[in-house]
Amino acid sequence: MTDALLREFLLGKLNDDECERIENLFLTVSQTKERVLALEQDLIDDFLENTLTEEDRERFLSRYAQTDEQRRQLRITKSIRDWAIAQGRAPQAATAISSSWSRFWTRLRLRPFYIVPIAAAIVIAIVLAIVWLNSRMEQRKHSAVEQELAQLNSPASLRETPPQMISVELKPVTVRSIEPQTELKLRADIGVFELHLPWTKKERYSTYQAELHRVEDDESFMIRNPQAEYEGGNVIRIRLPTHILRRGHYQIHLNGVANDGSLSPAEEYSFAVTG
Amino acid sequence: MARDSSISLEDFEEMLAWLDPDREVAATLYLQLREDLANILKWKGSTDPEGLTDEVFERVARKVHEVRPTYEGDPRLYFRAVANNVAKEDLKKAKTRVPLEGQDLPQQKTTEIDEETVAVEECLQSCLEKLSTENRKLIVAYYVKEKQAKIDNRSELARQLQTSVETLRVRVYRIRKSLRQCIERCLKHKAQEK
Repeated sequence: MTDALLREFLLGKLNDDECERIENLFLTVSQTKERVLALEQDLIDDFLENTLTEEDRERFLSRYAQTDEQRRQLRITKSIRDWAIAQGRAPQAATAISSSWSRFWTRLRLRPFYIVPIAAAIVIAIVLAIVWLNSRMEQRKHSAVEQELAQLNSPASLRETPPQMISVELKPVTVRSIEPQTELKLRADIGVFELHLPWTKKERYSTYQAELHRVEDDESFMIRNPQAEYEGGNVIRIRLPTHILRRGHYQIHLNGVANDGSLSPAEEYSFAVTG
Repeated sequence: MARDSSISLEDFEEMLAWLDPDREVAATLYLQLREDLANILKWKGSTDPEGLTDEVFERVARKVHEVRPTYEGDPRLYFRAVANNVAKEDLKKAKTRVPLEGQDLPQQKTTEIDEETVAVEECLQSCLEKLSTENRKLIVAYYVKEKQAKIDNRSELARQLQTSVETLRVRVYRIRKSLRQCIERCLKHKAQEK
């Protein structure tokens, strides 16, 4: 007996002989009984989903929705079905994910030789993720410092004199320099160092750029567009907040920026941070 | 055990004894047979399956003294044959029955249906609490997809449970049946409280 045949039986489409055969089995064989009744439930679902043909729908209504009792049974079946569908919709994705994971772990348990390479791959992925995150954090920190330097060295800021600032003049480094390196001592009462950098080259530029470089670890920050001022010669002022400085040796490379954007040879300055 | 009042006690006992010599077993068979015959009559398109089931038992009870001594085989098949005749007669009557103009069959009022729908929902919630987590998950998984997609879904579900679609369908039917029975008991209880 096929499901299709039993479905026809449930809708009263079979002849007397076929009906008799199925009915006798229904009464005497428990498996057949449950099979027929289970198929009947699916038929009711199809009716509730409105997927029956017009003819089947008519047949269904004349068998399953004639009496108050039958209609009550339909309402009960519908309420069970509606509840199950509503339950299924909400956590469907989570169930699918969890079942995928459980299948994955089941397969893994069956193939232990995969565990070592998979674990190694996971460790490498974690390390790479940590390195990537650190580098992202460093980049953010670096760009925040450069923004602060740009703000502090804007023409408007340079016209003001903050209270916790001291000014220091640095001499350009030459091959024959014999002077001791300038020391900047970090103190709680100092917030900003203003460095005066004399530009000794003949060429003059409308704008300059300075690169602050810490010797010990190659950390560097760019200060763009500082301008030259005349203080008995051309001098470029740059301001450094003390919190970006650490003990160690620093160099400043100062370049003139030509109108076409090209850079002049650099003047070099150096200082040591102590304290 | 309830019996139709039009059947004499003697006939009723004889009918039970025919189903099985053990009265306990016979009682269970009788109740089961009532339900099964009502289903068969429903599938045959009878207008009142429960009422016609009573008619079947009445007819068998009246004849049991004659039939039982000579009948060979499962007595339930005799009941089925009687049910078949009853259904045919009912269908014949239904065809000749002329509906009264402007007089519909008494149907449940909308307010009654609304009240019952609310009661069914309440009973469903309390019955679901009695359902095991495993069965609850199974019935939800069975209904995850609708229309065409449900066929694939049920095949996949059966594969995961390492069973056939047919067995899966029967398992879900049993769960739904137990839920339905629980809801019916709950509704009866609520009706008695009123």
